[in-house]
Amino acid sequence: MSLETETPPGLRGFIENAKRAPRRFLDSMFRSGKPVTDRGRSNFVFGNVYLHLHSARTHRWSLRWLTTGGLGIVSLSAFLITLVTGVLLMFYYKPYPEAAYLSIKDIHFIVPTGRFLRNIHRWAANVMVVCVLLHMARVFYTCAYRKPREFNWVIGMLLLATTLGLSFTGYLLPWDQLAYWAITIGANIAQSPREVTDAVNITQHVDPGGFQKLILLGSDEVGEEALIRFYLLHVMILPLILVGLLAVHFWRIRKDGGLARPADADKRLPLPDVKTYPVFTEAPKKTYSLAAIVKGRTAAVGAGPENTVPSMPHLFYGEAAAFMLTVFVCVLLSIFIDAPLKELANPLVPENPAKAPWYFLGLQELVAHSAFAGGILIPGIVIVGLGLIPYLDREKSGTGEWFGGPGGLRLVGWSAVFGLAAVIAIETVAIRFGWIRQWFPEAPQLLITAINPGTVLMAVYGVYSVWLVRRYNSTRAGALGLFTCFLAGFLVLTLIGTYFRGPNWDFFWSPSQWPGH
Amino acid sequence: MRANKHLLLWSSAGSLAVLMWAAFSENVLADWRQAQAHVADRLPAGADFEVHLRQIVVPARHTADRCVSCHVGMAPGESGLEGDRIYGKHRPVVHDPAEMGCTVCHGGQGRATTKADAHGDVPHWPEPMIPVRFAAAGCGTCHSHVAVPNLDRLARGSALMDRYDCYSCHRVDGKGGTLRPGGAGGGEGPDLSGVGAHGIPADWYENHLAARGKGTGSLPWKTSFGEVPAADRAAIDSFLQSRIGAPKLADAKSLFNSLGCRGCHKVNGVGGDDGPDLSRAGQRDPGLTSFKGVAGEHSIANWHAEHLRSPAAVVPGSMMPEFGLRNDEIDRVVLYLLSLRRTTAPEALWPRDRMRALRLGEREFATDGSTLYGTFCAACHGARGQGMRYAGGQPFPAIGNPDFLAVASDDFLVAGVTHGRPGRRMPAWGEKEGGLRPGEIGALVGFLRTLGDGAKPEPDPKPARWVKADPEAGRKLFADNCAACHGNDGEGGEGLALNNRMLLQYATDTYLVESIRRGRAGTTMPSFGRGSTVRRALAPDEIEALVAFLRTWEEKK
Repeated sequence: MSLETETPPGLRGFIENAKRAPRRFLDSMFRSGKPVTDRGRSNFVFGNVYLHLHSARTHRWSLRWLTTGGLGIVSLSAFLITLVTGVLLMFYYKPYPEAAYLSIKDIHFIVPTGRFLRNIHRWAANVMVVCVLLHMARVFYTCAYRKPREFNWVIGMLLLATTLGLSFTGYLLPWDQLAYWAITIGANIAQSPREVTDAVNITQHVDPGGFQKLILLGSDEVGEEALIRFYLLHVMILPLILVGLLAVHFWRIRKDGGLARPADADKRLPLPDVKTYPVFTEAPKKTYSLAAIVKGRTAAVGAGPENTVPSMPHLFYGEAAAFMLTVFVCVLLSIFIDAPLKELANPLVPENPAKAPWYFLGLQELVAHSAFAGGILIPGIVIVGLGLIPYLDREKSGTGEWFGGPGGLRLVGWSAVFGLAAVIAIETVAIRFGWIRQWFPEAPQLLITAINPGTVLMAVYGVYSVWLVRRYNSTRAGALGLFTCFLAGFLVLTLIGTYFRGPNWDFFWSPSQWPGH
Repeated sequence: MRANKHLLLWSSAGSLAVLMWAAFSENVLADWRQAQAHVADRLPAGADFEVHLRQIVVPARHTADRCVSCHVGMAPGESGLEGDRIYGKHRPVVHDPAEMGCTVCHGGQGRATTKADAHGDVPHWPEPMIPVRFAAAGCGTCHSHVAVPNLDRLARGSALMDRYDCYSCHRVDGKGGTLRPGGAGGGEGPDLSGVGAHGIPADWYENHLAARGKGTGSLPWKTSFGEVPAADRAAIDSFLQSRIGAPKLADAKSLFNSLGCRGCHKVNGVGGDDGPDLSRAGQRDPGLTSFKGVAGEHSIANWHAEHLRSPAAVVPGSMMPEFGLRNDEIDRVVLYLLSLRRTTAPEALWPRDRMRALRLGEREFATDGSTLYGTFCAACHGARGQGMRYAGGQPFPAIGNPDFLAVASDDFLVAGVTHGRPGRRMPAWGEKEGGLRPGEIGALVGFLRTLGDGAKPEPDPKPARWVKADPEAGRKLFADNCAACHGNDGEGGEGLALNNRMLLQYATDTYLVESIRRGRAGTTMPSFGRGSTVRRALAPDEIEALVAFLRTWEEKK
């Protein structure tokens, strides 16, 4: 008997309704009922609050692994994993000095699955940072930031900042030596504008550095106030911001016409598999009045076959696969490598070397010379510069192509070589011969703030990219060169900061050479 | 899509496998579960034993000790495997583990549930377990302030206990209080093994006398108890004060108080400044300790042992001498060093000895002259005041020398100890510097007199400065006779430094004249009043000229 037939009144009807209740419940859950046909699936996507961030149909170019590497989905998956594990960890975590440390010890040792959960949380957070960075590189190299996607690139910048903020605020929570001294470094970087205000002697009047540090820590030193602040940021404020930005980010993908693809993408795609050949199995019932106000060439009413396939299931399998792959990587790493937990935080025993989280070690390498230049000036310029890219590069050629634009892969290759050579050369000088402070001990700090390995490196990269702009007569060429150089610089500085810096931030070929070991 | 489906399938399968492994290893392979399974297997059938996590929580100390999850026999109310060292009951001790927890005495990581983590043999755990053979050091967590005499004094107290037949009624560290022939009596008096921790009643002697006078009739009162002279009572008191139920620890501290380590090292605010403060030597963080040059295991106990054997090999540039201690002595000193733990427990949990020491100003060393000398002076001046000389260093004066004591007045000795010799190794021991009180310095000087068989100068009627002679004549005499040992400017060399401000300030002319005249038999300082085969005797006016010359350094300063 169909679900739709009327049931008789009275007891018999009640029994009949009770029998049908489970199926009706399932039916009622999804607005358009069980998706059987392609059109039904499209409706399903359209009518589902979670799925409707996707377009109902997806271009086949977007589904190629090479197009995106699934990095965005992996980043999202990692975020979801941290979200779930993080909420579970919150059941046991106590945000108060010492109690925090002991609660982490308890999570590690006696909370059922606690150790595993914490490991997953930590690994997923790292995967997220890595994949967000790679995702940014992918978008850049495929020119996917161009009109009409400029603003989504800017949202992406904000997401990157929020991701790093989430990771950094989480760093303090275990309240161990690692956390305490990493955050102390972070707080001192926040205070570093004093380097400039001190130099021009106006700190007693205008002290943005001290204010920033106070806002961050709620006190002069990392203590219980800082811990509760970082906790609140980590579990509430930043996740809310991230979720909000994510919603806009995804929605804009759809509204900006899906993923970027080359103009001739349709021609370059091989013929689709017969089974997946996209056909409308029914004439469209919907009017596209709503879709008509969407920018771009969408709403192919009556256009019939094109190179799109229904998102369900084609896209969703890809997304599910990326998600499960992320889960697998995280749980696998968590089995083998525990999240670090050092001694209880002790303000009297500084860690030496005290290191920030790994993704900030490149900056810390620069901070060793000047906290302001390395911690605020250079990252500030880099972020503003990245944000400006889509507004400066208004070219058309190469959109959707890997290393698209004048010069292409060749230019990127040479830029990588140049970028590596420059950063290695400057670091070699700084490590081998020291810097201005070692040569002229009396040199004013302002001079070093202005001229240090970081700023010199930036200038070299900047000049190089200007030269590229002129040589290729293309902003995109300059951007390709500059971005590649910055990646090279980030990579080398991070590696040096992570593996080759020991006590007192001295250079060592390996930790086994550290004194006292 | 096909590839995506495969990826989805295999990564899901992989994740599932990893999760299952995680569940298995957590629920079956966990160290504490394995330990409890081991116990359950060996218990007789029907024994009431449940596999679950056990812990001893002591809220006041903020500890949750899960040690008993493996050492189940030591959990409150359980007996584990009968007689097993690991899984059986804790051996009877003064404190009930159920009430105190484990880590407070043993160290280690109470919250951990895996063996390596719990025992603290992992990076980033600052307080690994105290090795079992040094377990008595754990008492030092709270009881680091027990007053302990030096070895001589300890042995004397113990011998006196024997001589006065105290053991016929009392039991101390398993000795005494036994049945007498015929099976009569035994243990009439309380066991005194832990009496030091509770405090010895000040009136015990009077009470004993009164009890005997009342004639309770029992045999030992008549045969065993008699009058005890005050000096002997003090020695017995001193011995008993160190009885806190941890004879090994008291013994170790007694050795420490005989070697004179505090001459250079401060412990709890009292001691010299040449070496590092040892107040928390037992709590060194292995992670912050360099084990370069330490042979054997990288534990703090072994670090201390190797360091005592050869200080400079472990701490490059160390000025600490090699004392040539025997292995058993090293073990005992290490035990004492490990006991210097001083955790920050709330005051309400302090034992009496700590409260008395830190709040009432009592000493954590016996304050008789002999112990004070052993504690603060012996390392440099020798156990019997014979003077010392360590490889590569300058000699330390023989202050037990009878010739010295025969010319040095009490005032001179007290001033020397109190103010030290600025610029030299001898620190000032006054209350503000080294931390000794005037009465203690007096006791110390009293003990020095016993080293010289009571030698003591006659009261000196002359004023402190009576020499009137020509310093210029003395200058030549000094160059000829003294400079070789004491240095051209009296800065010291083989002989001690004569240009020292404090020495010249407190040395009377009589002292200087007599010292030169008599010399110091048994040391390199000859008698200049008498000649020898290679040197003529100095006339009294020549000695006075020398003293006048020495005084010129005093004016310069």
